Amino acid sequence: MGKLISNPKLLLAAVVAVAILLISFLGGAVGAAFGLGFLGGPIPLIQLPAEYITEIGSYQLMNTFVMFWLAILVIIILVFLATRNMKEVPGRWQNLFEAFFEFFINLAEAAAGGRRGRMFLPVVTAIFLGVLFSNWLGTLPGVNNIGRIETVEEFMEIKLKKEFNAEGHGKLAKDVKKMGFAKFMETHGEDEHVEEVLRTFFSEHGQDLFVIFSGDSGVGFINLGRGEQWKVRLNQVVALPSNFDDHDAVDTFIHQVEVPRILEGVQPDEEQEWTATDVEEGRVGLLVPFFRGASTDLNTTLAIAIFAMVSVQFWGFRTLGFSGYAGKFIFNPIKDPIGAFVGLLELIGEGIKVISFTFRLFGNMFAGEILLIAMGFLLPLIGIIPFLGLELFVGVIQAAIFSVLTLIFGSLAIIAHGHGDHDEEHGAEQAH
Amino acid sequence: MENITEFKGLEAIGAAIAIGLGAIGPAVGIGMLAAKAMEALGRNPEAADSIRQNMILAIAFAEAIAIYALVVAVIILFV
Repeated sequence: MGKLISNPKLLLAAVVAVAILLISFLGGAVGAAFGLGFLGGPIPLIQLPAEYITEIGSYQLMNTFVMFWLAILVIIILVFLATRNMKEVPGRWQNLFEAFFEFFINLAEAAAGGRRGRMFLPVVTAIFLGVLFSNWLGTLPGVNNIGRIETVEEFMEIKLKKEFNAEGHGKLAKDVKKMGFAKFMETHGEDEHVEEVLRTFFSEHGQDLFVIFSGDSGVGFINLGRGEQWKVRLNQVVALPSNFDDHDAVDTFIHQVEVPRILEGVQPDEEQEWTATDVEEGRVGLLVPFFRGASTDLNTTLAIAIFAMVSVQFWGFRTLGFSGYAGKFIFNPIKDPIGAFVGLLELIGEGIKVISFTFRLFGNMFAGEILLIAMGFLLPLIGIIPFLGLELFVGVIQAAIFSVLTLIFGSLAIIAHGHGDHDEEHGAEQAH
Repeated sequence: MENITEFKGLEAIGAAIAIGLGAIGPAVGIGMLAAKAMEALGRNPEAADSIRQNMILAIAFAEAIAIYALVVAVIILFV
């Protein structure tokens, strides 16, 4: 402590650190409770399914899909750099990749016992690189917070279309898609199916939060310094009377909804700090980020998991032959009833592996994303820094786990059945 | 409207129970793993590198179970 006081530079650094900590505390969610919160952004809506950026015909271009192709692009560039000018004494990039492949070659040969382990390498290293770079790209700035603004009208259009399809009103779904929400309400507002669907929809989603974006452009981002007060609930934007259960009220509500002038319906109430003029300057909607970490989409991880497990079966069939590999799972139930049951369990286990692969990667990356969002909200400026480091670490670990597990399953698959359980365990142990 | 708020409250409780109970097992597991790794380290300090590597890998497997619980909680909350 005495050293700290006697050294002016250290003291200054400490004071600055404490000041930054204090500012971020007051600017964040803690300060927002005392009316400060000048740095806090509104928490972006956390959505489980990936969002689409644009629609190309009937195909929806997903943000996680874009992210994975970016990762592949990065890998291609790196590999190009490494192999462009190969020398006996490797350069920087070549050295990196040589060390990487050496590591995996050693791992594979240890797992499978000898050179035949090399047949796993293309799939295993591809999985490692793909998962690693898509995880790491997910921690870049700009991911998750710059995107297209999906306005309330579009939101209502999509949701109503879904609801109508689920209820079996295909024609109404087509109409709402064709006309847009506002026009649809003008023409179909008095339809009793529409009313019914809207009523249930608002009782479920009326409290959903929407963010008020400034500016009129279609591209938005989460602004610093706009905390909770820059949020509205759906039934506040879409002029919903408070006594919604009342049937007459529902009628008036439906006639009131003219969405091009949707903002006129906003009723500023005393609890909210924003006023109607604030709202009219901007757009109300949701942020659909252009980029989102690829592994935070279940479809991505499921696709990789299926790819991995199909490869494992392929290796098994190729090495042991059809009857040899199928014989690990299918036994004659009359001769060997216990073996038949165990074989069935193992067959189910192969399917379970796909699910556990999928959820392990997805859960880790999605949880990391929520963690980053929450820390940016609680402690803006600095709160996110240690967790970014954690995310980089988790990204490597998850990529390693995915690829090493594929390797281990593959090396188990190519062991013939007759050798017994001991050999299989041995193979798994050697893999580490 | 009241029913909906009640429903949201039950959702929050459900999510909390899911992750809370789901984290117990992996927590114990990770503790045991780390304890055994420390023991191994004490007996054989030269093997520190491979022990650390395997420990991290095994911890990630145990952690995955907690992650499943987290996924369930997240699904309850956000879907």
